[in-house]
Amino acid sequence: MIISLNVLSQYVDLKNLSVEEIQNKLTFSGLEVEGVEFLASGTNLVIGQILEVKEHPNSDHLHVLKVDEGSFGIHQIVCGASNVKVGLKVIVAREGAKLPNNVVIKKSVIRNVESDGMCCSLLELGVNKALLNEKQCAGIEELENDAPVGETEVLKYLGLDDVLLDINVLANRSDILSIYSLAKEVGALFHRKVSIPSYTIPSDKKTDFSVSSLTNGCPQFAFRVIKNIRVKESPEWLKRVLRSEGIRSLNNVVDIGNYVMLLTGRPVHMYDLDKIGGKQIVVKDDYKGPFVALDEKTYDLIPSDLVVSDGKNPLCLGGIMGSLSCAVDENTKNVGIECATFLSHLIRHTSSRLGLSSDSSARFVKGIHPCNEKEVIHLLSYLLKELAEGKEFEEPIYYDARKKEEVVIPCSYSYINERLGTAFNKEEMKEVFDAFEIRIEEKDEDQFLAYPPKQRIDLRCDADLSEEIFRTIGLEKIHATLPISQITLGGQKDHQKKKRILREYLVDKGLVEILTYTLISNAEDQKYFTLNRDEPWKVLNPMTVDHQVVRRGLLASVLNVLRYNKAHQMEDLAIFETSLIETKASSYDELCIALSGKKYLRGNLETKKYDYYSIAGLLYGILDLFGIKEGRYRLEKLTDPSFHPGRSVQILLGEECIGVCGQLHPRLLEEEDLSEVYILDLNLSALMNVRISPLKMSAISKYPSIYRDYALVAKKNVSGKMLLDGIKKISPLVTDASIFDIYEGENIGPDVRSIAIRVTYSCFEKTLKDEEINVVEEKMFKIFETLGCTLRK
Amino acid sequence: MIKRIQEIAQEAEQKIAEAKDNEELSKLQILYLAKKSELMSFMAKMKDMNQEERASFGEVMNSVKNKIQTKIDEKRKVLKDLAMEHRLKKEAMDITLPGENYERGAKHLFQKVVDEVSDIFIGMGYQIEEGPEVELDHFNFELLNVPKDHPARDMQDSFYIDETHLMRSQTSPVQARVMLSKNGVGPIKIISPGKTFRRDEDATHSHQFGQIEGLVVDENVRMSDLLGTLELFVKKMFGEKRKIRMRPSYFPFTEPSVEVDISCFECGGKGCSLCKHSGWIEILGAGMVHPNVLKMCGFDTKKYQGFAFGVGIERVAMLRYGIDDIRRFYTNDMRFNKQFHRE
Repeated sequence: MIISLNVLSQYVDLKNLSVEEIQNKLTFSGLEVEGVEFLASGTNLVIGQILEVKEHPNSDHLHVLKVDEGSFGIHQIVCGASNVKVGLKVIVAREGAKLPNNVVIKKSVIRNVESDGMCCSLLELGVNKALLNEKQCAGIEELENDAPVGETEVLKYLGLDDVLLDINVLANRSDILSIYSLAKEVGALFHRKVSIPSYTIPSDKKTDFSVSSLTNGCPQFAFRVIKNIRVKESPEWLKRVLRSEGIRSLNNVVDIGNYVMLLTGRPVHMYDLDKIGGKQIVVKDDYKGPFVALDEKTYDLIPSDLVVSDGKNPLCLGGIMGSLSCAVDENTKNVGIECATFLSHLIRHTSSRLGLSSDSSARFVKGIHPCNEKEVIHLLSYLLKELAEGKEFEEPIYYDARKKEEVVIPCSYSYINERLGTAFNKEEMKEVFDAFEIRIEEKDEDQFLAYPPKQRIDLRCDADLSEEIFRTIGLEKIHATLPISQITLGGQKDHQKKKRILREYLVDKGLVEILTYTLISNAEDQKYFTLNRDEPWKVLNPMTVDHQVVRRGLLASVLNVLRYNKAHQMEDLAIFETSLIETKASSYDELCIALSGKKYLRGNLETKKYDYYSIAGLLYGILDLFGIKEGRYRLEKLTDPSFHPGRSVQILLGEECIGVCGQLHPRLLEEEDLSEVYILDLNLSALMNVRISPLKMSAISKYPSIYRDYALVAKKNVSGKMLLDGIKKISPLVTDASIFDIYEGENIGPDVRSIAIRVTYSCFEKTLKDEEINVVEEKMFKIFETLGCTLRK
Repeated sequence: MIKRIQEIAQEAEQKIAEAKDNEELSKLQILYLAKKSELMSFMAKMKDMNQEERASFGEVMNSVKNKIQTKIDEKRKVLKDLAMEHRLKKEAMDITLPGENYERGAKHLFQKVVDEVSDIFIGMGYQIEEGPEVELDHFNFELLNVPKDHPARDMQDSFYIDETHLMRSQTSPVQARVMLSKNGVGPIKIISPGKTFRRDEDATHSHQFGQIEGLVVDENVRMSDLLGTLELFVKKMFGEKRKIRMRPSYFPFTEPSVEVDISCFECGGKGCSLCKHSGWIEILGAGMVHPNVLKMCGFDTKKYQGFAFGVGIERVAMLRYGIDDIRRFYTNDMRFNKQFHRE
């Protein structure tokens, strides 16, 4: 809300208050002043008259002037404006004058000619360019012939001594969107006198109009007929007030409507009476059909839109915009004035459905003064009489179907102090309530009933009263304390802790964490592998198609990051993201890791290309981190078009696939213009929910272990795991088995490979003897045989 | 014979001195001190000597033998030292070349701020609570005193999924969920960090952004406790010298509501471009929980009061690390993400 201090000061005494004081007080009582605009500024200004114009001897465009500055004498001024002429009255900034943009006027010598002062344009005084015409922008300001030479209150003379405050009115204080209310608020805050004028324009005759409402959406409707008005241009002062609020002046009648809205906060409407058929006004919500509004556009109305009608035809889309058919124009003689109440949510629905809003609808949506319609009707009448020569005033009609409920708030002084942590006595608080016209009825020493003024629709409960104390006298009296409360154990839940440990682990391993958007495009959601194929959530009103679907997996987002970085010459990446995944059927945390390019083992001197085993290593590392031992999960071949069939696995917990690990399918990578990418995609929640046995020490044998190495030639379809699992099952004496070399090559044939395995034998009771091991070995060789392996001696 | 012994001794000494390596020394050891060496062969002659001769001859032999042995040992040591010196010289490396890579990766800045803020509040006895991002209108608005037809629920501001679901526009619904789960019994001390969504996009607004919401509900919680708690938080997060101030504001779920500013950490409050020359930076919104919210979430407002606050995760990070555009958080340019690897 923009408010002119000159306008405000007509209703509340602002004497001796600096702009800064007003700004601060308002800001710290909940009416934040977001901007201060001086219409113009400048000190040491005086009105002068040019007595002489000579060409500057050393310049082809400068002039040397003699300027009469009244009691300040005659001064020589060098001036570059082309519109200087003898006799012209001008604004002179004298020596020492301070102008906007830190300009200070000093005596100076310009190309060898002395200059004492400056003739100014309004632009140089800081007037908004939008308010000036071309001529005013190009040269110095040409004052009227009757301008008083020697006058020093130049800005006042020009009507430019005003300051505009831009106040951010909070959503609950729509009552402030009225100059009268703001004046009251400022008066209360500064303890200054407020004078709001009140008018009564008596009726000359009864009316033959009737008003009724057939809808709850319009519970109140005030109407008055005023005849024989004259539509003409508004007076300058009215234009200026409207201009300061950013409203364009049309004619006196329309301007009066807007002015009353600014003053009282109530949207009003005026009808050209002679264009209304019949003598009845009926508000309805069942109209269906086209409506041509004042903006000359046609809107399709449906039932639930509030329509002011003459019984049949719409005269006004209630609270939003009048009909073109009965608009006030330059020929209007007789008007009907309206001040009604339309329910906020209905206005909002209609307004947003039609994409049609107005100052009026905006005010209804925010909330209006609930009961000042009589004052509004009389103020309108008064102004139409004064500024539009209105002559015949019919009796006003007040249709009113509202329930009269007085707001009473039970509260206590101790409640307010306890809520704020303050120690105000009741007198201090009462003073505040009194200033804001909140009537207090004390029930005992502490308890009271509060009756807020009608327009304060934000005051509804005891907490609201505590805010009145807080914002007026409370702010500086509240001192920092800490809650005195029971000890609570702070911390994270188990799965939060685990997730954090996991993230720290991955970062320690050199991975970089990423953060991507939860909303992705439909195409991305469809294209890539996801751990679930549930139905996704979709946003009804996306900003763009790129962010429409609540993602079911992280792969699409992770690939986007790889692509972006590749396009910026970064191809060696190890990244991960953890994120909540939500679908219509499930909700869990997911982890997605991507490796691509190479790992820098030692600068550029030693590097290693990421491969399947890099990503697999991370999988095993994470399983180990969470204490999930082999046997709790299974790895199985993965068949998915996104993955390389020979270099990927799925991770199963029971029968549920909780993750995939492997290389992306080369065809997919080709499409995506990416080089080899390795992905680990895990349902973290499932992993973190695996119950694991608590850590306990396991015994260490005091007898030495025995190691034996075996070299096998095995068919390629015999996996390392098949061999090792086989060996480990043979006997409790086998405590470990691991592969330490693999050879594939022409020397041993195309379908086989040579595998070297080291087996550890140990026993808790004794040192093992060769014979005992040999027995175990025999069994082992049998297993090799059944797997089709031959032992290399 | 003695003369010959002396000659041998002299010769041995010279050869030992000239010896180039251990191998040569070993040969000399054999040449001079082995049983069958010329020198030692003189020992055999001792049995033909009388006791007196034998004694003095023995003495000479011993001293020669010892001397040679000592010389050999000394020389061995010299050679060993030389060899070590040589080896060290040979083994010298270019110690300016890179070492093996044990660098950490980097947490995302967003998470880093969440972790830091969480730790501060965990230390003050707060629990971390999270909630769904696809949220029910009931929790996102209704229970937070934003009834149907409240302008803040405008379709323009939130991503709706259907009649009842939307992408949560704030982390506050977690408050409502936690309060309801407590069946009207305090105390509650929680913070809830997370992602939120609004239809807004420019250099300082992203359609997805993070919030950390705090809530305390207990008997005797006061506005002054809110001020004290936030002051503590701000000092930990932005430095001990920071001051805070409150400005009255409005949120539907708190009453009174405030915006909280901190004294500018760039200029210390003197005024600079970061704080737009005001000396203060707006950092969070807060207030006393509205009685309607407490009631709807099952708490007796005669017994319980509460305060709540909310801070933008990216905003904190942008201020603290001088980040110019919120979209950097979501672009994941490695040149950006990797900058924040230090703790």
